[in-house]
Amino acid sequence: MNKSNLQNYIKEITDSFSNQIKKINYKNNEMYVYLKDPNDTSIICNHVYANLNTKLATMICTDEQKNGDGFVIRYVFEKLNDDVFIFVIAHLGKSNSFPSLVSQIPAAALYEREIKDMFGLVPIGNPDLRPLVLHEHWPNNIFPLRKEFDLKTKVVRQELEYPFLRVEGDGICEIPVGPVHAGIIEPGHFRFSILGENIINLETRLFYTHKGIEKLAESLTLDESLLLSERIAGDESVANSAAYCQAIEKISQIDIPNRAKKIRTIFAELERVYNHIGTLGGISTDAGFAFGSARLNILKERLMQLNESLSGSRILFGVNRIGGVRCDISDKNKKLIVERIDEVSSDFDKVIAFLKAKSSFMDRLKGTGMIPKKIAHDLGIVGVAARCVGIDVDTRHDHPYANYVISNNRTPQQIMHAQIEMEKRSGDALARFEVRVNEVRDSFKIIKDSIDLDDDGLYSNVPVVIEPYSSALGYAESHRGQTLHWVMMGEKNSISRYKIRTASFCNWKIIEHAVLNDIVPDFPLVNKSMDLSYSGNDL
Amino acid sequence: MPSSPEIILGIIQALILMALSPLVTGIMRKTKARTQKRVGFSIFQPYYDMIKLVRKDEVVSDQSSWIFRCTPWVNFATIGTATFFIPVFLSHSPFGLVGDLILVIGLFGLARFFTMLAGLDVSSTFGGIGSSREMMTSALLEPALFLAIFVVALTYGGTNLSTLVEAASNSPLLPHPQLIFAAIAMFVIILGETGRLPFGNHATHLELTMMHEAMVLEYSGKSLALMDWSQSIKQIILFTLIANIFVPWGISSSISAVPLGLGLLAFMIKISIFAVSIAFLESSIAKWRLFRIPDLISVAIASSLIGLVLYYL
Repeated sequence: MNKSNLQNYIKEITDSFSNQIKKINYKNNEMYVYLKDPNDTSIICNHVYANLNTKLATMICTDEQKNGDGFVIRYVFEKLNDDVFIFVIAHLGKSNSFPSLVSQIPAAALYEREIKDMFGLVPIGNPDLRPLVLHEHWPNNIFPLRKEFDLKTKVVRQELEYPFLRVEGDGICEIPVGPVHAGIIEPGHFRFSILGENIINLETRLFYTHKGIEKLAESLTLDESLLLSERIAGDESVANSAAYCQAIEKISQIDIPNRAKKIRTIFAELERVYNHIGTLGGISTDAGFAFGSARLNILKERLMQLNESLSGSRILFGVNRIGGVRCDISDKNKKLIVERIDEVSSDFDKVIAFLKAKSSFMDRLKGTGMIPKKIAHDLGIVGVAARCVGIDVDTRHDHPYANYVISNNRTPQQIMHAQIEMEKRSGDALARFEVRVNEVRDSFKIIKDSIDLDDDGLYSNVPVVIEPYSSALGYAESHRGQTLHWVMMGEKNSISRYKIRTASFCNWKIIEHAVLNDIVPDFPLVNKSMDLSYSGNDL
Repeated sequence: MPSSPEIILGIIQALILMALSPLVTGIMRKTKARTQKRVGFSIFQPYYDMIKLVRKDEVVSDQSSWIFRCTPWVNFATIGTATFFIPVFLSHSPFGLVGDLILVIGLFGLARFFTMLAGLDVSSTFGGIGSSREMMTSALLEPALFLAIFVVALTYGGTNLSTLVEAASNSPLLPHPQLIFAAIAMFVIILGETGRLPFGNHATHLELTMMHEAMVLEYSGKSLALMDWSQSIKQIILFTLIANIFVPWGISSSISAVPLGLGLLAFMIKISIFAVSIAFLESSIAKWRLFRIPDLISVAIASSLIGLVLYYL
């Protein structure tokens, strides 16, 4: 982050919109633009989106009626080429509606529907007002994230039918798949409209396992919420808990020791590696090539055993704590990590070389599940799904945290090579396969680079009392992509609002567009190559 | 009129096929598990599965008609009947008087017809998808199968299986190069008929990719056991046909104990080798895209046609 850049952005926005803005300030890498009138949101947001090279990272709604502010919506824009988040803050006052941004910023659609369900605020101008998070069985007039809603309330189930998009015409059939699937996976409903084997339209319906995490956190202590954040999605536990811890650390303005930073990085990368290898194995299974997946799953198992011997948990629960890490890496374990990683990475190279030589396997991946770059950009997708179409977003480089650093010492030639490499990526399942393979290799390298730990302790102490109603955004790159955790403190160290936006929430929509050139039997392969989480989506 | 020992041996042959068929499935599954570095379950697991299924209750969709309920029995009856015409270890099958290779194919066709109807009958989308995919492939597989059989029939003079196998066991393969092409075609067709990779994937749990499995998805309990059993009998019949027509070594032509015993042993070894090699093939290949499957079948058709041309040369 660069302070002078921040000043420039502030100046630019104040110059163009001095009449509409109440005040503007910044803290850390976050810049806050307070609006006078919520009706100006769309002008300012469109300006920030179109002219400042940003994307809509999330929309956070808070119920601040107690403080006399009514509902407040924060539009979080992420600068794509600088470590800055721009918050456009609109106080709705007594109003129960807010202007929709969908016509200019398509990515806003889902967030607006989420706010409508959880807070009962109507986005004026959003063409799709169907329920998203709370299904049609939830009563229309109960909004769980409002402060007046008690966590223990029992609600009455109502019977209604969800209006799916209907495709009509000669020979068009509908295939409803799920929410209960064969095999051990989580629930999600897919409604295909097909013509023969060709997919004409796909509509996904999720949130069957909505757990009320955001509401639950408001009744927990900071430490309990850490455990909660690990359980958002079991396979992203390190990324989510790191993002949560960073939010709290940012609020209380503490720096964590270098040793803790490095250990966080090592565990985050270990998590990425075992998940990426598991996904590569899953791609192989869904392409009907059991041999490849058997080999890759052996590697995944070895890494999970390594996780267990390091942290006591195969999926790395209990690694992070607020202010640092809970789990140390001893010298003996350092040697173990290096040995195991050398062993796994040499086997991994062999298996990948074998898979790439298998024509029947490569043929299944090539051209399957093509993500259109324009749509990917408009929907603001993150992670591997974005990188496979050549959108170079990676929180580890864009907004460095833990031990990740921006490498500024690249030559222009190297930068150009990287850009050409990005342009070449076509967005099909093969591109996602290759991006994952490269990331696994990178992760092995990052782990080895971070293994030289400092001796400055595992954690810093958090202040006993954190200022009420202070807030900050924590972020991390999970193996699925960017995960954002925004925490607003309440009185007496409680949490007033915990907003989580996982990578899966951003990326689920893109699958509806990616399958349109494919046939029905290729859908499981497309789905697996995206590696989306149900649990991580259904907060 | 065949003698009574011949008739008894004929019945024994049919029973052996029915009894051994789950074992072949078991051997293939075990081989696949071993190639995938898994321990895999016992080769007798298909028998245990069948016993388990027979003990279980059935759930039948209230949308289904009599077709759904009678299909397992039609399947078992037609494929079970086909076993009687297949020479297993005795080259001369006593029931050849009433049926030949064309009838066997016809019986398979009938079983498949009912399975496809049953898939459509339950009005579940997966059944419908499975049936439509099965129609697509079978419309191509059956002509290919007939072509391959014509090559064999022309070479050995007739479609009667006993005549075929006897003629095959008495003549060396070399003078008939067309048979090699027919064998290639038959091999591809067998992969398709039994739903093996790259055509279908028996091990998949993904309904959207299924072909044969999607049609029987709604079956449970005894009906499922019958459907599974019929499918493995069909598989062993096809394996036996290709083994006894193209590599008829060891098959007995007289009714005496020693050659019969040797014939049975040779049969079991041939079938096992065949099953293991198909399992290896399955482990070394990914499932093909659905619309590339016709390409593979056209290879079978082309190979049979080359065989036909070679016969007339």
